[in-house]
Amino acid sequence: MKYFASILFRFILFAIFTYLILLLIWGYMLPNALKPNLNYMVGGNGFTNSRLKELKQNPDVDVFAFGSSHTYRGFDPRIFKKHEISLFNMGSSMQTPIQIKTLIKRYITKIAHKKVILEVYPYPFCLDGIESAVDLIANDRNDKHSLSMALDINNIKTYNTLIFGYLNDQFSGKSDFIENPIFENDTYVNGGFVEKKLSYISCTSFNEMSWNYKETQFEVFEEILALLKAQNVEIILVYAPIPKVLYNAVNNQEIFHERMETYGPYYNFNEILQLTDTLHFFDANHLNQIGVELFNEKLIEVLNGDGLLKNK
Amino acid sequence: MFFNSLDFAIFLPIVFVLYWLIPKKKINSQNLFIVAVSYIFYSWWNWRFLLLILISTIVDYIIGLALTKQSIPGKRKTLLITSLVVNLGLLGFFKYFNFFVDSFTSAFSFFGKELSANSLNIILPVGISFYTFQTLSYTLDIYRNKLKPTNNFIAFAAFVSFFPQLVAGPIERATNFLPQFFTKRTFNYVQATNGLKQMLWGLFKKVVIADNCAEIVDYTFYHTDNLQGSILAVGAILFTIQLYADFSGYSDIAIGTARLFGFNLKQNFAFPLFSKSIAEFWRRWHISLSTWLRDYLYIPLGGNRGGSWQTMKNISLVFIFGSLWHGANWTFIVWGLINVAYFVTNIAFKNTYNTIKISSNLINTLINYGSILLTFCLTSLAFIVFRSENLNHAFNYFNQMFSSSLFSLPEFNQTSKIANTTLMVLLLLCIEWNGKNNLYAIEKFGFDWNRLLRWCFYSFIIFLIGMYMQTTFSPFIYFQF
Repeated sequence: MKYFASILFRFILFAIFTYLILLLIWGYMLPNALKPNLNYMVGGNGFTNSRLKELKQNPDVDVFAFGSSHTYRGFDPRIFKKHEISLFNMGSSMQTPIQIKTLIKRYITKIAHKKVILEVYPYPFCLDGIESAVDLIANDRNDKHSLSMALDINNIKTYNTLIFGYLNDQFSGKSDFIENPIFENDTYVNGGFVEKKLSYISCTSFNEMSWNYKETQFEVFEEILALLKAQNVEIILVYAPIPKVLYNAVNNQEIFHERMETYGPYYNFNEILQLTDTLHFFDANHLNQIGVELFNEKLIEVLNGDGLLKNK
Repeated sequence: MFFNSLDFAIFLPIVFVLYWLIPKKKINSQNLFIVAVSYIFYSWWNWRFLLLILISTIVDYIIGLALTKQSIPGKRKTLLITSLVVNLGLLGFFKYFNFFVDSFTSAFSFFGKELSANSLNIILPVGISFYTFQTLSYTLDIYRNKLKPTNNFIAFAAFVSFFPQLVAGPIERATNFLPQFFTKRTFNYVQATNGLKQMLWGLFKKVVIADNCAEIVDYTFYHTDNLQGSILAVGAILFTIQLYADFSGYSDIAIGTARLFGFNLKQNFAFPLFSKSIAEFWRRWHISLSTWLRDYLYIPLGGNRGGSWQTMKNISLVFIFGSLWHGANWTFIVWGLINVAYFVTNIAFKNTYNTIKISSNLINTLINYGSILLTFCLTSLAFIVFRSENLNHAFNYFNQMFSSSLFSLPEFNQTSKIANTTLMVLLLLCIEWNGKNNLYAIEKFGFDWNRLLRWCFYSFIIFLIGMYMQTTFSPFIYFQF
């Protein structure tokens, strides 16, 4: 038995070592399509890399916005600046409360005593958070918060990407990577915003559907609120506009609204602002620049009206 | 608790260490420990259904003892029938009640009579089909004087509930398995490492092969009406591989786990995908069930001793019973009947084939490979019915598959998914082909290599599991049976 235990222990060490070596080989040498459980893409869709680099150089803003692509495509710092409010957009693709918690913990010194807009699109509350986690791992430094995020998600793809990320940070690093600010029809705008070349949604429809909310994401969300409150951060919850065809197709949003209302000041701009799908959106999810301007102006007006945005 | 879960990854090492800490002379303590951890293992799913296992255990324990004390044939028969009624009654209620109620009401409405009957919301207790057959084998063997009953209740309870094979087999025979609970179990290094190797290979088959195939298979079966015939054919082939990898993967993990505790379970799959005939396929597929049916149904019915018609009748009964064992659905029954047709054709052709003598090695080799391919295709066609939601769905699948688009190049949306799955399936087939003469594929893989190379191979399998496993959890298919 002792011999078995000793051999097994040695084999486990050997297997871990081999796993790391093979992970590096797979990570560096194989195309993405052939490594389904390793998704380490520096740069790429969503400009997370540019956004987080800018954040590190940009010390002081009034308002931080967190959330999914609805955030980085929906909250334009240039419009806020016209109203003498500096806003930094911390959104990333498919960002769920798990990633928001990671970012807040990591950048808590910058966020403390500021205002935070949490863009609360219900769909990320239905996700496990893998896609957004691997985006964050590949495009930001990896620390203990990354490990905590991976443990929260508990998925082999996140673990593989994180291990590769740690190894890659050691061996090659990513600080020298410079992301092109223009990718296809997207342009990165300082302050974390991504502007899409003006286009309009083509006719689309959705069947009636329900979203399967994950209770764990709500639990993490409650942790975020507690964390921010402890740092004396003012929190505003905003549901940014989505096309009516999508909004009306989901038949179980009421419970989401009710829940959000218990967390703090909650603004559902799908009810506050009446937009037209074919004029103000470029796809089935996102506002085009005309829609962004209307939404942001209204948002600032409403929040200012309630005394939430400008410093008292 | 599933073998492919984190819970089991924590449960197993703890149980393993505690088990071997019990002094080996105290066999009864080891057995008691097995009963306790097996019940915990089962309770992870639903503790209420432990009662059914307990009923089955107590009834067969008492009847087993009573059978030896009883010499009057009529009374012995009554005892046996009691055991059959209790065990098959529980199985029948939980598994077939709704099926019969629904079938009767449908039959009446077909003839224009409306019959009101409520089916119940019955949960199928996991593993009931497996442990019921296992305990029945005990009573049947005592009845046929092939086995002496045990008066050690703990050992018997451990035999019924042994956690590695409790929920999906292999269905063990009391003659092979029960005596192992009375022999001194000492830790054996070779047996334990063999167990770990088999578990590793089983896990690879389940989480890499079966679960990746499942995603494509589910897609083809959910969107049957809108897909090309060639894609549906790929779906059917992959379902056969999925089913094999899923169930044989489970069996490998079960057998491997049992080895860690000093027990030897029977081989349940002997590389059935390489069978050259339907008869051979059924000798290699789910062996513990097919031999159970052979010994307790086919042979008592007369086997092949009553001429051709009698043999056909017995084969048909065995297949129908075996197909119903899988579940209460007409798809299973039709699947069984298709296999009867295959079997009968197989027997007829076998006689013709045996009279032909071919001296060319090349032609013989080609015939062998051709037979493997043909058998695989035939079983894949039959499994379409097995996998379908109902007979209408199966008919639709065949109809769509055998359309003109069967010969078009399949156009998949997720090419990378298909590419990765194909690569992994090819790797599986190569390794299984290489090890097809062993108990499991990697049993002697790299046997003559030095330790470092062998460890590299096992580590590579672990890496493939980490890199290609399906990230969404899916339970074993045979849990539903």
